[in-house]
Amino acid sequence: MHLSDDDIVRSISAHSPEGIEALYDRYGGLAHTVALRILGDRGAAEDVVQESFLAVWRRASTFQAGRGSLRSWICTIVRNRAIDRLRGDRHRTRLDTPIEGESIEPVTSDPWAAVALELSGEEVRKALAELPAEQRQTIELAYYGGYSQSEIATAMEVPLGTVKGRVRIALDKLRSSLADRMETPWQTQ
Amino acid sequence: MADAMSHDEVADLLALDAVGVLEASDRDSMERHLATCETCRQAAAQYADVAAMLPTALELVPPPARLRRSLMAQVYAEASTTAGIPWWQRLVAAIPASRAFTVVGAVAVVAALAFGIWGAAGRSTQQAPIAYTVSGTTATGTLDVSGGTQGVLTVNGLDPLPTTEVYEVWLIPLQGSPKGVAFLSQGPNGGPWTAVMHGNMAAYKSIAATVEPAGGSAVPSNTEVLSGQLTES
Repeated sequence: MHLSDDDIVRSISAHSPEGIEALYDRYGGLAHTVALRILGDRGAAEDVVQESFLAVWRRASTFQAGRGSLRSWICTIVRNRAIDRLRGDRHRTRLDTPIEGESIEPVTSDPWAAVALELSGEEVRKALAELPAEQRQTIELAYYGGYSQSEIATAMEVPLGTVKGRVRIALDKLRSSLADRMETPWQTQ
Repeated sequence: MADAMSHDEVADLLALDAVGVLEASDRDSMERHLATCETCRQAAAQYADVAAMLPTALELVPPPARLRRSLMAQVYAEASTTAGIPWWQRLVAAIPASRAFTVVGAVAVVAALAFGIWGAAGRSTQQAPIAYTVSGTTATGTLDVSGGTQGVLTVNGLDPLPTTEVYEVWLIPLQGSPKGVAFLSQGPNGGPWTAVMHGNMAAYKSIAATVEPAGGSAVPSNTEVLSGQLTES
C-alpha cells in the first residue's frame, strides 16, 4: 500500500515503527547520498544516517506542524549531523535543534513541495548548471562543505555581503527554473 | 522588541538557513519575525524545499541492506520495550472509569488477557508464540513468532558458506517486494543456523532465505534455499 508523505508523518507522530520504516524506504537512499557526499566515507555516512533516523524515532512524539516538506526536513537533519561530524563537533546544540525545534508539515499544504517531489535529478542538475559558476559554488560550499559564511567569503575572496546575496539569488533562480520546467505557475508572494 | 526586519532582509536569512549557513546571531531575529509573518513562513518552506532538491542532483548511492536491518532492529527493540506493559498494568488500564463497572466485566478483562486477545493497536493480538515451518531442499526449521513483532528462525541442514556469502532472510509482504530482515548465523560446533527479526509479522505472508553476497542485497538475487508460509494451520 502506497503511503503519502502525510501518512508517514501521521505514522511517525503516533510513534509507529512502520512510520520510520516507510520514511527510511522513501528517503533513506537520499539521506545516505547526502551523508556520503558530505563525509566521503561510507562507514561514517551509514552512522550518520542511522543516528538521524533513530533520532526521528525517539523524538516522534514531539512532531508538530511546521515548515518545509518531509524530504527537506529529513535532508536537513542528515545534512546537519553530517556537517557536525565533518567538523568533529559532537556537542553542538544544533544536533538536537532540527528535531526538537523543527517539525514537518504535510506536503499537500505546500504546492511547491508537491512540484518539487515530481522533479527528476536530471532536471535539478540542468537547473544547477544554468546558475553562474560563483553562485553554484557558493551553494555547494555551504550545503555540502559545511563552511560558514565567513569561510566561504574568504575562500571565494569576496565580501561577506556578497555571499549572503549569492545564496538567496541562487535559490531564487533554482526555484524559478525548476518551476518553469514543471510548467507550474510560480506563486509569487 | 519591535520587529524591524523587512521581508527582503528576512528572505536573505531564510535562504542562508536553508543551506545551513545561518549565523546563530541571526536566528533569533529571524524566528521572531517568522512567529508573526505567514508570508515569510511560506517563503521559509519554499527555500527549504529548494535546498532539499540539491541532493537529488547527486547520483543516488543506496545504503547497504544491513543499515536498514540494523536501524529497524533497534526501532522495534525500543518499541517492544516501551510497549512492554506488565499484565497487571494492562488490567488496571482496562478497568473503565465508570462506576458501573461490574465483577463480570473484571472477569471478562482477565479472561481476555489470559487468552492473549489483548494487544496494542496496529499489532498482532496474539501473545502466545506461534511456530511456522520452513523447509528447503536440504534444510528444515521453524520460525517462532512472539508478540507478533519478533521472530526467531532456527534452521538445520544448511551447507556452510564461504566468507564472501551469507544466508539472507526475507519477509515477503502481502503486497510489495521482499524485505531483507536478517542474516542466518550458525551456532557453535556446526549447530543450527539462527536469525532474529523484528517487524509486524502480520503484514507478511511468507518467509524465505537466499544465498547473497556478504553484506546482503537490496533484493533477492538467487533462488531461495528455504521458505515457509506465515499462515496459521
